[in-house]
Amino acid sequence: MSDALDRIVAGNRVYAQRTSEHDPNTFVEMGRGQAPEILWIGCADSRVPETTICHCKPGDIFVHRNIANCVHADDLNVAAVVEYAVAHLKVKKVVICGHTKCGGANASLADADLGVTLNTWLHPVRELRRKHKAELEQLADDDARATRVAELNVQQGIEVVKQHPTVRQAVRDRGLTVHGLIYDIPAGQLRLLDDTRATGGSGLWTPANH
Amino acid sequence: MRLSVRDPHARSAGSRAAVRLFIGRGTPVTLRASQPSFLSPHPPTALLHIVPRTSTLLSLPAFSATLTSRRLAAQSQHRPFSSSTHRPWIWENIAEMAAEPTPEPNSQALRKYLQQSHDKIFESNKKWAEEQKVKNPEFFEKLSKGQEPDYLWIGCSDSRIPAEAITGLGPGEMFIHRNIANLVCNTDLNVMSVVNYAVRHLHVKHIVVCGHYGCGGVKAAMTPQDLGLLNPWLRNIRDVYRLHEQELDAIEGDKKYDRLVELNVLEQCRNVVKTAAVQGSYKKNGFPIVHGWVFGFQDGRLKDLEINFEKMLEDVQKIYNLTE
Repeated sequence: MSDALDRIVAGNRVYAQRTSEHDPNTFVEMGRGQAPEILWIGCADSRVPETTICHCKPGDIFVHRNIANCVHADDLNVAAVVEYAVAHLKVKKVVICGHTKCGGANASLADADLGVTLNTWLHPVRELRRKHKAELEQLADDDARATRVAELNVQQGIEVVKQHPTVRQAVRDRGLTVHGLIYDIPAGQLRLLDDTRATGGSGLWTPANH
Repeated sequence: MRLSVRDPHARSAGSRAAVRLFIGRGTPVTLRASQPSFLSPHPPTALLHIVPRTSTLLSLPAFSATLTSRRLAAQSQHRPFSSSTHRPWIWENIAEMAAEPTPEPNSQALRKYLQQSHDKIFESNKKWAEEQKVKNPEFFEKLSKGQEPDYLWIGCSDSRIPAEAITGLGPGEMFIHRNIANLVCNTDLNVMSVVNYAVRHLHVKHIVVCGHYGCGGVKAAMTPQDLGLLNPWLRNIRDVYRLHEQELDAIEGDKKYDRLVELNVLEQCRNVVKTAAVQGSYKKNGFPIVHGWVFGFQDGRLKDLEINFEKMLEDVQKIYNLTE
């Protein structure tokens, strides 16, 4: 067990050393502040580390990660993150990223008792499943159903984020945009979610729409 | 080749923002802003000159170009300790991109630029995925079967501290929750769900609460100002201050904030220890162990606050015992 801990402590030494070797000023500059352009709301899942999979570097992405990348309207935790990122850091884009093979989405396909905490947290996702029962039943297997639930959950999250007062103001005043993504774990690739209402059905974000 | 951008927001008036370009293993080239507008909080554009330190190693032609610092930052998709095979492809086009003038507002050229800068993320991600497959053809297949992370990381949302990058871990190795000022509040269903899932379902061996010096959340919490929606969240940090008022009041200047950052981490560790999931699992399995760390920007190193976990658990359980 201590091996596991030694590994990340050693990993950090390597990181600090190599970063300084590349540019001795990196940490001095980092200490001066951050100006990320993107707020990422993603899943806590260890297989979706945003900075790695987007090939970015420290300072690029402001991050909130929770179980199944949920954005519940009554959650102060995510609301505080959105408020800080949008009102104070003035990020330009908010991204909500779900993923395939998501344990939370999978657990939401049924009503197994996960304990009161997780049951309550996943309740809105299970509600989404109930609401889209007919559509989900058409799909081939649970894998496909979980992916669809993840997509629906991202779209739901986008709706909630867009209602956040600071987000509404930033959308109006400075063109902040909100996007949905799905990360496909077996492929290692990001896919932009088709938000038909916002884009008129083309799926891909284009500047003309904003 | 890589690039770093000094944060123009934090620079004092009169000093010049600079951008450094790294080409292969060659000598860095420094780009300097020659307009004071670069120093404004949201710099529009800046005229940048390339100032070669040594000209012989450079393949770039000497040129001036108008660029936005943000644009440069957005295009510097690299990992600080990536190997040469991991070098971001987009830098191959830097000379070409830098030579282009910034498009006019609302122009066709700007639209094209926005589309291209957006598409780059996807192309960059695709490239990364292909590289992983070359290195290990079963990489994604293995990942798709499930996760068995040893660690749960509870850290700050701050963009400068991507947990996996600063600990050298890859996908699948660390379960991550990040929020403003790495708080663990017992009524917050969000973080409680994360702890619950990580301990009871993933059986993580270590829980790390990691704060960082210079935390904007901690500073904001000590500001005598109405921050609206942030008030109730940051109130938790003011409570940490009140718990350690005597010690903190005896410290002057920035050191006081540094200590509050550390004390906040310790309190959040205590909050993790207070959960039934952690207490129950530790009693049954002998794990997880809770650790409190602080990341420092000066050297990029993690500082271990050296919590005595067993002692902390014992102290906490005097009042918060949930195991019987």
